[in-house]
Amino acid sequence: MNATDGEPESNGRSWRKAYSLVLSLFAVEVMLLYIFTVRFS
Amino acid sequence: MNRLDYLVLIATILAIPLYGLWRTRGSVSLRQYLRGDASIRWATIGLSVLATQAGPITFLSMPGQAYESGISFIQNYFGQPLALIVVCAVFVPIYQRLKVYTAYQYLGERFDRKTRLLGAFLFLVQRGIAAGITIYAPAIILSAVLGWRLDVTIWLAGGVVIVYTVAGGTKIVSITQRYQMIVILVGMAIAFAVAVYRLSPDLSFQNTLLVAGKMGKLGAVDFSVDPHKRYTFWSGLIGGFFLALSYFGADQSQVQRYLAGGSLKESRLGLLFNAAVKVPMQFFILLLGTIVFMFYQFEQPPVYFNQPAYQRAMANGHAPQLATLQTQFDDVFAQKRALIREVSSPSSKLSPEQRDVAMSSLRELDAKGRELRDRTKAVLQQAGVDPKNKDSDYVFITFILQQMPHGLVGLLIAVILCATMSAVAATLNALGSTTAIDFYRPLIRPNASDHHYVVAAKALTAAWGLVAIGVASFASLVENLIEAGNILGSVFYGSILGLFLAAFFIRRVNGSAVFFAALAAQALVFVLFATTNIGYLWYNLIGCAAVLILAPALQQTIFRGTEAPTGV
Repeated sequence: MNATDGEPESNGRSWRKAYSLVLSLFAVEVMLLYIFTVRFS
Repeated sequence: MNRLDYLVLIATILAIPLYGLWRTRGSVSLRQYLRGDASIRWATIGLSVLATQAGPITFLSMPGQAYESGISFIQNYFGQPLALIVVCAVFVPIYQRLKVYTAYQYLGERFDRKTRLLGAFLFLVQRGIAAGITIYAPAIILSAVLGWRLDVTIWLAGGVVIVYTVAGGTKIVSITQRYQMIVILVGMAIAFAVAVYRLSPDLSFQNTLLVAGKMGKLGAVDFSVDPHKRYTFWSGLIGGFFLALSYFGADQSQVQRYLAGGSLKESRLGLLFNAAVKVPMQFFILLLGTIVFMFYQFEQPPVYFNQPAYQRAMANGHAPQLATLQTQFDDVFAQKRALIREVSSPSSKLSPEQRDVAMSSLRELDAKGRELRDRTKAVLQQAGVDPKNKDSDYVFITFILQQMPHGLVGLLIAVILCATMSAVAATLNALGSTTAIDFYRPLIRPNASDHHYVVAAKALTAAWGLVAIGVASFASLVENLIEAGNILGSVFYGSILGLFLAAFFIRRVNGSAVFFAALAAQALVFVLFATTNIGYLWYNLIGCAAVLILAPALQQTIFRGTEAPTGV
């Protein structure tokens, strides 16, 4: 048994999109923190 | 604190549990008691997960951490969004499909009973101590600055939590955490706004940040690869990833939060909410500490924030030494304030080179101020008034009590107590559940009724509450409160995570190989902890990697020929 057993493919695609969105948001957060560091240090 | 503060405080901390008790009245099945019901949606799960992780230390100590060392601690959270995605994709579907009450049940199904018990045991040891620290940490500070008795503070905070957690189980923990977290977020947002408002009118907000940055307080991201540096991008991303993966994937106090409600979708949304908001939330809490630091560049701070300890040392025959240090500190403060005004004044005629020299002098003065604070602490130790926790833990509470308006003071003390109660409730709920499901049911009473196990889970939750109060009553911290919790977690989490990753991803290993690999990995981490000074986040990676390397090696050598299950 693995994590995606029994999960419809369309459902899996939707979750992969959600994960990508959260990852992108995290990348933006780190970039903003880096800009903040450079700007104020 | 005046009457208004006490009114706000008491109303806030009692109203939420009372509402929770009303919402969860009536008898429940074991499943409802341990996993809640379908009315728990993703927003409640998300806030509940956030509240469980945050605890009082986040709101009490973290601003002080930024005051002392800047905001670089934010990097510790960089691994968390990635880990939460892995938990959503791998851990949650399996837990939900198997309908387990505890994460360790899965280890039993995948491997064997001893591996399940080892995972549960490591969790109980680590979390049992951590629950005590979570009660003790705010109690020692609040009792010191507010003049409350320490034992009464510990018993009150712990007692209220025991009552409602035992009564309502997982559902009441989720409901109360939702409202407690709302109070916490509103309280901290108001505190942030008031702190900004209270900044010196001599400086614009942007200039305030520029000066704070030049004084080394705003370095959020550091790409250094030095393993001895505690907070870097890499240690946060890699070590923090393993810490968060273990914490969210294998720590029952979190697993029980997102399994509440029983829907895969709601669990995942609640966790992804955390992945999105955790880093910004921690950033604003740390920035609040930096703003408090800048406030005290214009307003005379005490040389030592833990004033009760300071006053005891004064009365203990050390007044002359402390007075000398205070005079020197006042002098440094006056020089710093004049220099900041000079470099940041709009009418400043300093050239860029002169400005750099002035900034360099400012940093030197700041270092001198820190040295005087260290020397003050040394005098306190000589006086036998040895504060076990860092003075930085008293910075934010001092700011609250001295600078916030009445009413808000009560609300912010309520924030700290709400954070304590929500974190402790989640922990007790998990400790009681794990003891009942992983130890009591299989080992002591295998075939009792559903009602019997509900009563057992309640009794065990109450018993763990008493253990936590016992630990809190005899605890003495050796380091900053934030560090104590994270170090404790990091020492145990690596091998626990290794057990789960081996279960998920290494098909051809059996229970005995993984069990002994985890024991060896835990011993390795203990040895490294005792003999080296590497950053503690790395223990998560080391412990986990040791299990994942040793388990297949043991399977191929000592346990060769024993049948390996194909995985659940």
